[in-house]
Amino acid sequence: MTTLRLDTINKFYGALHILRDIDLDIREGEFISLLGPSGCGKTTTLRCIAGFETVTKGRLLFGSRDMTHAMPEHRDLGMVFQSYALFPHMTVAENLSFGLEVRKVSPVDRTRRIAAVLEMVKLTGYEKRYPRELSGGQQQRVALARALVIEPSVLLLDEPLANLDASLRDDMRFFIRDLQQRVGITTIYVTHDQSEAMVMSDRIVVMNHGVIEQCGPPRDIYEHPASQMVAGFIGQSNTLAGRILGREKDVYVIDTPEGQLKSLGRDGLKGEVRVMIRPENIETAAAENTLSGRVVKSTYLGGGCLVAVETPGGCRFTTNMPADSALAAGDAVTLGFAARKAWAFAA
Amino acid sequence: MTMRKTLWDHVFTLIVTLIYIFLMAPILLVVLLSFSGGEFLALPMQGVSLRWFGALFTNSRFYDAAVYSFVLALISAAVNGVIGTLAAIYVVRFAPTRFANGLRVLMSAPLMVPEILTAIALLFFFFEIGIGNRWSIAIQVGHILVTFPYVFLNVASALFNFDRSQEEAARSLGADGWLTFRRITLPSIKPGVITGCLFAFVISFDIFNISLLLKSVGSNTLPLELFDYLRFNFDPTAAAVATVSIVIAFAAVLVVDRTVGLRSLRF
Repeated sequence: MTTLRLDTINKFYGALHILRDIDLDIREGEFISLLGPSGCGKTTTLRCIAGFETVTKGRLLFGSRDMTHAMPEHRDLGMVFQSYALFPHMTVAENLSFGLEVRKVSPVDRTRRIAAVLEMVKLTGYEKRYPRELSGGQQQRVALARALVIEPSVLLLDEPLANLDASLRDDMRFFIRDLQQRVGITTIYVTHDQSEAMVMSDRIVVMNHGVIEQCGPPRDIYEHPASQMVAGFIGQSNTLAGRILGREKDVYVIDTPEGQLKSLGRDGLKGEVRVMIRPENIETAAAENTLSGRVVKSTYLGGGCLVAVETPGGCRFTTNMPADSALAAGDAVTLGFAARKAWAFAA
Repeated sequence: MTMRKTLWDHVFTLIVTLIYIFLMAPILLVVLLSFSGGEFLALPMQGVSLRWFGALFTNSRFYDAAVYSFVLALISAAVNGVIGTLAAIYVVRFAPTRFANGLRVLMSAPLMVPEILTAIALLFFFFEIGIGNRWSIAIQVGHILVTFPYVFLNVASALFNFDRSQEEAARSLGADGWLTFRRITLPSIKPGVITGCLFAFVISFDIFNISLLLKSVGSNTLPLELFDYLRFNFDPTAAAVATVSIVIAFAAVLVVDRTVGLRSLRF
């Protein structure tokens, strides 16, 4: 069931075209990440959904109701801000109580629901504290609790972990995802951190320059990127320009400066393409696809080595090697990878 | 190293002490002289007595002037609390970007234009429209005008520093614009409003030029009464008046701090 539909949303700031034809169907209970570099339009999209920005063209449907021009207070959304935006003059309990008071929830029910949600975010006993008396991670959880206590139909999160330090950020990822699954709430999560999106999401929406580049489950985005931008933004990748010669069953044969390569790709590819291989899929042995080159640099990473190899044609590849790899700069090396591990997309 | 640091610490303490003496000495001197037993406002003091306070409280002119000044200052603070706040909200939140800066400078104009010019302009204005100096209207308007920027600037800076995502959070929780303003925005800018009003009160209680030109017939503010008195008398009653006026201003600050709090004035 679709809870939220973005139907060709367009947004202009004066002559600036910020969002172009954003189409997105979000299912009930789904965790969706809007991912992209800064200025890609992900936050603007979220703010359009929340009602803080007006949509220039297009429709926003909550279930079957058209909410394109509804005021923020009528949209029944919970939102968590990057700055948390806790009310500094109110205690934790008062912060949580605000949304319930506005909704005319009885005092008895308010107390019960506040206690329940505080337990959910593991902050029982903090009712009387003021936001300034809490750590960053605790404030973050209060913000989350405040958004959840009103039991909204959709939860919106705008880079909620950006202000936390690294180790806390890792914990909070799992905490938020776990909470979201327990409550079963439809969630839209804005982030520029690809690993965050990867760990938490059911689907990732990769945005760039105000358009959706690709939308799909994390595995699909990582293994089968739709463009150079997606391949480059998510994880590490090696890409090679080429031209399609033909197709053998589901494997494309592609002519590249490094010789013929075989690769998977979406149906209907033709002409100029790029072939992408993830570093972890390259081995130092001949395989379906074989390249030869010279090691330029080997970097020890602890768990392994990252080895950069340059081909005679001047292409650079990086590959993951075991930590005990004896490869050093200047060594000649043969690289191989399976056709099923390579992925071609339109250039 | 340690030696030089201690030396610098002593020098620093000395400088700070001198600054405080420079600031406080005139006030202390006036307060001290108001307890003088002598006939003249002069040092050294000849004995200690409360007789000049007695003289002050039996002098109805000073008493009336003090009440008049107090009421003027109270009204100035109250009126500016409302219009200064509204003006700040408009300039910070609603004015088109290209006008906002100019408007802000314009709103602070009473601080930059010499007070005496403002007074003369108002004097012409009120006589031109036929009110003249009747019913204390001119002097009250003058006081409101001159103290307006204190409220405006304090509230504007509080608004600038306010994180607007708090308002968005309130809206997403279901509060409409007015409720959000009352429960979220206003409490956050309250210290700015209170500090501004306090400034307005104290400044209005003390100003001289505006009052001199715009006062209505038969009423006098405390500073004017004091000036008139000193022209013909040179006894410590003047010091007693000054002491009382310092106490009133000080009390205003203290009361506000104890009741609503002056967070923005604390460090």
